[in-house]
Amino acid sequence: MTAASLREPDGADSIFAALGDATRRSILKMVLQGPQSVSVLAGAIDVTLTAVSQHLRIMESCGLVRTRKVGRVRMCEADRRGLDVLADWVGINRRMWEHRFDRLDAVLRE
Amino acid sequence: MTAAVQFDTFTMEREFPVAPARVYAAFADPNIKRHWFAESAHHQVEEFTMQFEVGGRELARYRFNAGSPFAGVLLESNGMFLDLVPGQRIVNAATMAIGGRRISASIHTFEFSETASGATWMVFTHQAAFFEGADGPEMRRAGWQQLFEQLHARLAKDGQ
Repeated sequence: MTAASLREPDGADSIFAALGDATRRSILKMVLQGPQSVSVLAGAIDVTLTAVSQHLRIMESCGLVRTRKVGRVRMCEADRRGLDVLADWVGINRRMWEHRFDRLDAVLRE
Repeated sequence: MTAAVQFDTFTMEREFPVAPARVYAAFADPNIKRHWFAESAHHQVEEFTMQFEVGGRELARYRFNAGSPFAGVLLESNGMFLDLVPGQRIVNAATMAIGGRRISASIHTFEFSETASGATWMVFTHQAAFFEGADGPEMRRAGWQQLFEQLHARLAKDGQ
């Protein structure tokens, strides 16, 4: 079993702190579907561009999202680094059981 | 501040190339179960005991090996069998603690059925409440389940 979330508690803590806010969870749900422009995000969750930018700064600082300029549009996408920390935390039990069932399969084939 | 509990449920399905009675036996026999359930290259098994009966306990203590991310740390699971139907179903519940701190409580349901070719189809449902990692602002339950599901879907799409 590995668990990067426990190896890097600060990383996991800042991610969970960032996701303690319902608006930021909404933003993450949207960008998990694919990259979105910042103005589309602001419109979808009904907050000002300034407010959504503040949320995105917090989410960028803990590695949950990335933003980049495409022409005159600022695009936002999910950042693999933060997702991996989150997935590790969520997936500790899942991976442990996958390994167990692999071993069980081997035992049953002996 | 009391940390909010977070919930996660997932299901895994597996086919094993033997009849359900043999799969069930691999769960029921402590020596066989220790081999596939408790042993791992990442830790030493300090204790593994189980009484395979409704109300029976299952205790496991693992110590992470040198070179692992948590070298020397103790992992303990403390469980109980809740429902047993030979060849068909096993339900147990367990808490897990790392370094003396309980991080989760979960219910594990294993359902076995026989396929047309005489193999076993197993559906494993894992329902967990997590106590770990919630020291920050209060986190509301609403939204977490859906977020976890989307995360699983996204990771599956990315080929993990």
